[in-house]
Amino acid sequence: MQHSFSTAFLAIVLLSVGLWSCSGPGEAHTYRAENVEVVLTGPLLEGPNTGQIALEIDLASALGAAYTPDTKVTGAQLLQAEVLAGDSVGFDSVRSLVLSFASDNADVPMQEAAFLNPVPAGSDRVALEVAPEAQLGKLVAEGKLYLVLDADFAADYWDGDRRFLVNFELSITAK
Amino acid sequence: MKNLIHHLGLGAAWVLVAMSLLSFSPLDQDAAGDQLLGVWEPSNGRARVKVERIGNKYYGRIVWLIEPNDPETGKPKTDKNNPDPALQNVPLKGYRMLKDFVYQEDGTWSGGTIYDPLNGSTYSCVIKMKDKNTLDIRGYIGVQALGRTDVWKRLAVPGK
Repeated sequence: MQHSFSTAFLAIVLLSVGLWSCSGPGEAHTYRAENVEVVLTGPLLEGPNTGQIALEIDLASALGAAYTPDTKVTGAQLLQAEVLAGDSVGFDSVRSLVLSFASDNADVPMQEAAFLNPVPAGSDRVALEVAPEAQLGKLVAEGKLYLVLDADFAADYWDGDRRFLVNFELSITAK
Repeated sequence: MKNLIHHLGLGAAWVLVAMSLLSFSPLDQDAAGDQLLGVWEPSNGRARVKVERIGNKYYGRIVWLIEPNDPETGKPKTDKNNPDPALQNVPLKGYRMLKDFVYQEDGTWSGGTIYDPLNGSTYSCVIKMKDKNTLDIRGYIGVQALGRTDVWKRLAVPGK
């Protein structure tokens, strides 16, 4: 009697664990994008200026063998982000940087994902501080999103555009 | 209509149909929505907000503050009331306080939010253009009727 009770109890525990893992958020995959070029179109005035670029995240290649047509993204978070100077001017006069992601979907709000304030003088490559609460899952699930880079300039810049390269790494959870 | 087609001929009628379709094109929708672009000043005159378009949505960043520095530290103000502690060191100048507005057929911009940096709260918001230089910005929680409206004026850009 005691043996059958233990077996039943074990079965319930295993079933619960099984159900929990089926209903869990899914498996995490790392997605890395490199040298995403963001152009801030001049003339650029003292203060904050914005550059944006549309990105497409191909889930099939991001998730590899784990991807099936029924795969759903259940969450995504920025793990790290860095900005590199994309021209010879570098970060001259750039006081701070903010990296955000946005979508055309009215139900998916913009998320500020990382920033750096202040930008160290003389840098040509900076790592941003990631905002861990930024939830990017809905944005990534859209497939198409906008990477938005705000740069705060200490002085006017009249000599054309400024270019920056962004590298970032996402943890995408899907099931 | 039959008389018109008969009178104009089939080719001309097709031109009319094409013109009427074009008159409701997404390009016109974009142009109407883009009336919001520019620099605006809230009624208290303490900030200026530049509205830009990202994709098909509209966003507004603080580009000027009457008091840019924190009186306690003497340094540029940061978003110290942000509910996300990781973002409290983001500069207030440049902060995107209007987010995710979509232009609607009724001539409003809605679906977005307005952020109040004084208390770190975010409200639902709808924007109506009273005339090309005046906006009604209505922030609310839940029901529009229970909100508060502020009037923003377009900042004249020299030379325009």
